Amino acid sequence: MAVSFRAEQSSNKRKTWFLLFGMFIAVVAMVWAAGTLLSFNAALLVPIAVGISLIGVWTSYWKSDSLVLAMTQAKVISHEDAPQLYNLVEEICIASGLPMPKIAIVQDPAPNAFATGRDPNHAVIAFTTGILEKMDREQLQGVAAHEMAHVGNRDTLVMAVAATTAGLLAILADMGARMALFSRRGNDSNPIAIIVSLVIILLAPIAALLLRAAISRKREALADATAVQFTRNPTGLRRALETLAADSTVVHQKSTAVAHVWIESPLDGKSKSMFDTHPPLAARIALLREMEGAPPSAE
Amino acid sequence: MWIWIILAVVVVLLVIFVIATYNKLVRANVAVDEAFAQIEVQLKRRSDLIPNLVSTVKGYAAHEAGTFEKVTEARAIAEHANGVAEVAAADGMLTQALRGLLAVAEAYPDLKASANFLSLQEELSGTENKVAFSRQYYNDAVRMLNTMIVTIPSKFFAGMAKVSAREFYEVPDAADRNVPTVSF
Repeated sequence: MAVSFRAEQSSNKRKTWFLLFGMFIAVVAMVWAAGTLLSFNAALLVPIAVGISLIGVWTSYWKSDSLVLAMTQAKVISHEDAPQLYNLVEEICIASGLPMPKIAIVQDPAPNAFATGRDPNHAVIAFTTGILEKMDREQLQGVAAHEMAHVGNRDTLVMAVAATTAGLLAILADMGARMALFSRRGNDSNPIAIIVSLVIILLAPIAALLLRAAISRKREALADATAVQFTRNPTGLRRALETLAADSTVVHQKSTAVAHVWIESPLDGKSKSMFDTHPPLAARIALLREMEGAPPSAE
Repeated sequence: MWIWIILAVVVVLLVIFVIATYNKLVRANVAVDEAFAQIEVQLKRRSDLIPNLVSTVKGYAAHEAGTFEKVTEARAIAEHANGVAEVAAADGMLTQALRGLLAVAEAYPDLKASANFLSLQEELSGTENKVAFSRQYYNDAVRMLNTMIVTIPSKFFAGMAKVSAREFYEVPDAADRNVPTVSF
């Protein structure tokens, strides 16, 4: 059966909320666990942990446009530097109703692209020199639509929230474990609760990383569907992903800090893993193929 | 006592609901206007590219006078078109004429290779895409507004907001069917 991009969009949005709720549950479990292990109200730790986690993540979120540009050494371009690229990004802006982002080019032979920026007015989308060489206009339009979909769906914000929560859980686990060594609760705690609490403290940070990766995968799938909403042409993006799948070169920047922003993950291995930030390319291609089969009425 | 408080809360919620629905309708209506303005901006840009394109092609293929005439004529009509249906019809005609012009260009290798023509061609195909995307965006905005006007509850406030169903931007089919087949 043909798949419509609208159904894909709502399913991925629903799953994002579900996963974010999962992260919230992990925080609640963690606070409870710390409470059973510590002699004082562990909820007091939460504001401190939130503060520490926020400072790290939110400065990089707020400055994401300039930070990522500096990290990847991307150069912002104007219409004269690359008229075709500039034109096709403008086309997507018209199709999506989003403001024109800054466009940047990264000197890298590996074909890839990314989007960042705290909101659509501070968005930057960047392409590697490799992707500009290897792809034709239709493919690049698909890629630009995917990146603008990240901008329109506020994925920098979504991933900042996920990163903050994951950071919060890591800090809480760390503080909880350290303090449990020094403080002793009265004899009233039952041993099962203590064991369960220890397990939560150990596992919650890992669960948070898994949830964060899962959210990233859902946002990638959502961006593919939204890209189709913009261009109404699944073929361009599908052909672009096929080119990426056929290409074995990988962008030089292997920094985890920016890994999730690329259209093709520089970190995910060949085999499927629960820590992958992107769905497997083959699955994304298959889904776009199904969208190509969608009847015109699905527009 | 309690009855009055509950009643007041209900009334306040109702008022908020009415204002929100009213604003949503007005906003959807403005969005349609903006989307149409965007189409016109893109059509204007395309229109501005034409004299340059025509003179470039003329330099290599002066005797294809009929094709140039069609383009110039369609451009003149498009510039004086008013209202959605008329603009759409003129847009369709000009698109067809331009495709004819580009098809003519195909027969002249020197022209096709000239840097001026290549950059004009990119600008033109970019603008064609922008026209197409702004149409799509406009039609989406109209679809959203028209749906609100016939669905409950927004249906009940359409009259109050002085908002009515809008016209889709439809490029006449016939013009598209007569497109000359261009083989690249």
